[in-house]
Amino acid sequence: METANRSISLRLFADSSLIPLVQGAIEQAASVFGMSHQRVLKLVMAGEEIISYLAQTAHGGEVQITITHGGWCVIVDFSFEAAPSDLWIINLAAQKKANSGQEVEHLGLLLASRMMDRFTVRLKGRKVHLELRLDYEYLVLQPKLVRPKMLRGPLTIVDNPEPALIKEACAAVVNQYPPYLVHTAFFTPGKTVDMVAGGYLDMIVAVDEQGQLAGMLSWRAPSQNSISFSGPYIFAEGDDVARKLEMHLLKRVGRGNAESLFSDLATAQLVSENFESLGQIEFLQEDEQSIQMAVWFRLLRDDAGGAVWAHHDIVEFLEKKYSDLCLMRTIRQVDAAGESLPERSVFSTRLRPELKEATFVPMVVGVDVSESIARQVAALREDDYRNIFFHIDLASGWQAAMGGALLENGFVPRILLPKGGKSDVVVFQYA
Amino acid sequence: MRNLDFQKLVPAYVQGFESYQPSKPDPELMKAYGVDHLHRLNNNENALGPPPEVSTIVEKFPVKNVPVYPSGDCFYLRQKLAAFYGKTPDRFLIGNGSCEVISSVIKAFCEEGDNIITADQTFAVYEWVAEFSGFEARLIPLKNNRFDHRAMLDAMDENTKILFVCNPNNPTGTYWDTETMEAFLDEVDNRAIVVIDEAYFEYVEKEDYPDGMTLMERYPNVIVFRTFSKMYALAALRIGYLCGTADIVELVSRAHIVYSVNTLAQEAAVAALSNDGTFIRETLDMVGEAKKLLCGLFEERKLEYVCNEGNYLMVKVPLPDTLMYRMLMRKGIMVRTMTTFRFPNWIRVSLVQRPVMEAFCKAFVEVLDNR
Ligand SMILES: Cc1ncc(COP(=O)(O)O)c(C=O)c1O
Repeated sequence: METANRSISLRLFADSSLIPLVQGAIEQAASVFGMSHQRVLKLVMAGEEIISYLAQTAHGGEVQITITHGGWCVIVDFSFEAAPSDLWIINLAAQKKANSGQEVEHLGLLLASRMMDRFTVRLKGRKVHLELRLDYEYLVLQPKLVRPKMLRGPLTIVDNPEPALIKEACAAVVNQYPPYLVHTAFFTPGKTVDMVAGGYLDMIVAVDEQGQLAGMLSWRAPSQNSISFSGPYIFAEGDDVARKLEMHLLKRVGRGNAESLFSDLATAQLVSENFESLGQIEFLQEDEQSIQMAVWFRLLRDDAGGAVWAHHDIVEFLEKKYSDLCLMRTIRQVDAAGESLPERSVFSTRLRPELKEATFVPMVVGVDVSESIARQVAALREDDYRNIFFHIDLASGWQAAMGGALLENGFVPRILLPKGGKSDVVVFQYA
Repeated sequence: MRNLDFQKLVPAYVQGFESYQPSKPDPELMKAYGVDHLHRLNNNENALGPPPEVSTIVEKFPVKNVPVYPSGDCFYLRQKLAAFYGKTPDRFLIGNGSCEVISSVIKAFCEEGDNIITADQTFAVYEWVAEFSGFEARLIPLKNNRFDHRAMLDAMDENTKILFVCNPNNPTGTYWDTETMEAFLDEVDNRAIVVIDEAYFEYVEKEDYPDGMTLMERYPNVIVFRTFSKMYALAALRIGYLCGTADIVELVSRAHIVYSVNTLAQEAAVAALSNDGTFIRETLDMVGEAKKLLCGLFEERKLEYVCNEGNYLMVKVPLPDTLMYRMLMRKGIMVRTMTTFRFPNWIRVSLVQRPVMEAFCKAFVEVLDNR
C-alpha cells in the first residue's frame, strides 16, 4: 500500500500528561483524512486507552505514533522499542508483578480493541507495534432476492473491473450467498472499490457477451509467500464459470511471489480438481450457530520436502495430514527439556471484533506459557470471543514446543496450512 | 558506523521481484521423496547424452589446463561455428548458456522507459531479465497455443526495443512457418530487434520451419539464439550463443561478460559440431517413439495434451500440477509443473528412452487411478 505521503507521525514519551496531545493529534489527523466525527471519536477513545496503558506499563519510554490514511480506513500505529523482559506488556491480558508481589492485571488493550474494526499487536525486529484500524463509513448492502440469470454467448474474464462492476459484483454476492460466505468488505461495495484501488484486494469478474455478470473471485496476499481467495461466486447458470475464474486466478498468480494459495471463504462451486482439501474449520456465529467452513489449498511451486518441528502430542495429527497430502516432511520432535526459558510469554494478536475472532501467534514462549494462554483466553471469553485460534509455524522449534501447552488449555489442532508461513503452519482452535 | 539498510539501496523493480528457485540436487530430492532413483523429465535434457566426440574431450580434459583462463571470446568455437554456418566468426557471441546472451541483448538495447514484447506462456527468462532490469515486458497471450504475431505487432510502440519469438515455443512446441515469420519481419520493418530463440531448432523436421540463420541475411534486425544444452546435451557445461550481423554482435558484446564460458565447454561444443549428425537422427527417433507412446496413453485416457515440435509435450491433469509432481516424485519421476508457465494443472514431460517413458506411463496411470 502506498501510504507514505498520507501519514502523520509524532514522537513522544509515554506519560499521562501527554494524553491530550495524542487525542488531539488523532482527532485532527482522522478528520483531515475525511473520517466522520462519530468515528473520529472512537479512534480518539481507543488511542487514549493505548497511550494511558503505555504510560502506566512503559512509563517514560519513547513511543512513535503514526496515523495513516489507508484508503478505506485510518490506521493508528503505536510503536516502541521494548527490551525482551518488558515485552509481556503487549499481551492482551498482561500481568505485572507489582512491588508488593501482587499481580496487577491490565486489560487496556482489550478495551481499546472493542471499538475497532481490527486490532493487531505484533513485533517487528525489536519494535512493538500496536495497530488500531477503523474503517470509513460505507453504505451497507442488504440482501435482495434475485433470480439467477441466463448467460448468453461466450464468457470473458475482466482483469481490472471498473468501480461500477465491482459494486455490481458485491451486490450479487450479498444477494446470492449466505452471509458467512461473503467477505465482510462486500457488504460495503464502496469499501471494496477502495480496497481494490489501494491494491489490498484483487478481483476478477466473468461477464457474458452482453456484459451480464456471471461470476467473481477475489484474493489478497496475507503474507509474502501466500495468497488467499474468496469465491468463486457464481451468479448465473451456465457451465464453467467457476473453472474459468479459477484458471484465470492461477494464471495471474502462478508466476508471482506466492508459494501457496488458500481459500479464505470457499463456496460450494469451487472446482475441487483445482485444489487439495485441508479439512474444515468450525466457526461460531453471533447467533451461536456453527458453520463448517471447508478449507482448500494448492501449492504454486514444486515442493522439495523438508523438516518441521513438532511437539510429540501432535505428531500423529501431522503424520496423518502429511500422508494425506503427499507432502514429504521429516518431523523433528521438540519437547521441553528443562532448558531455561524467558520468564514470560508474549503472543501477537489479531482481533476481528465484528466476528468475535481472535488469532494468536507466539512471539516469545516463556516458562509461564500455559498460564499465559489460559489468562488470555479467559479475558477473550469474558469479552464474548467465540472463535479463538493459535497459529504455530513449524519452522521454529520454540513455536512448535508450545503445542503441549495449547492442548492442555483446550486447544485442538484443526488444520495444517502447508507453506502457510515460513514453513507449514498448524492452526489450533479453542474448542 | 551506520547500520546497513540494504533495502534502501535496492531499486523498486528488484524489490518486487521474486528470485528463481532452482530445484534441489537430485540426491536431496531422492532422500526427501524416499526413492532410490529419479528420472529427470523436467528440463528437456537429451537423455541419450552428447555425441561420442564430446566424451573424448571430457574424459581427456588435462588438469594442467584447469589453472589457465579460457579463451575470452571463444576463438576456436567461433571459427568452428563460422565454418558450420558459412558465416564469419565475428557474427557469433558465445554465452554461459543462451540465458546469458538474453541478458546481454536486453542490456545492450534497452534503457529506461523501454519495453520488450514476448508471449505470456513461453520460456520465462526474457520476461524475468527485462523486469528485474527495470524494463516493461509486454506479454501477449498465445493464440491457439501459438505466438500471436498480429497482437505482438499491435503491442509495439516507439519504446519497443526487442521482440522475443520462441520458435518452436517452449512449452507448446508450436512454431511460425516461414511465411508467417517473413510477414512478421516485414511488418516490424527494422523498427526493433527480433530475437528468434531456436533452442530446439535441431528437433524440428518440418519443411515449412524457417531457419533464422538464413533469414537474418535478408532481415538485419534478426538475432538468432541457439544452445548446446538441448540437442547437443551439454547442459552441465552451460554454453549457448547468438548470431546476428557483425555490427549487432559487436554492439551486444559490449554489454557481455568476457571469459564467462569455460574451456571445457568451448572444446566440447567444437567437438559436438564435428559429429556427422548420426546422433541427431538417433535422438529424433527416440523422441518420435516417445511421442507416440505418451500421446496414445493420453488419447486413451481422454486427457487434453499439446504435442508438437521439440523433445517435450504437455498434458493437462485433473488435479493440481503441484500435487501431480509430488505423487510422481514418490515414484521416482520428476516432471515440470506448468503453473509457473501460466498453464495451471498442466505438466510438461521431456521425451526420452522407451523404458523410462514406460515407467512414466505406469506411474502416471497409478496416480490418476488413486487420486
Ligand atoms: C526456449 C529456450 N531458450 C533458452 C533456453 C536456455 O538454454 P541455455 O541452457 O542455453 O541457457 C531454454 C532452456 O530451457 C529454452 O527452453
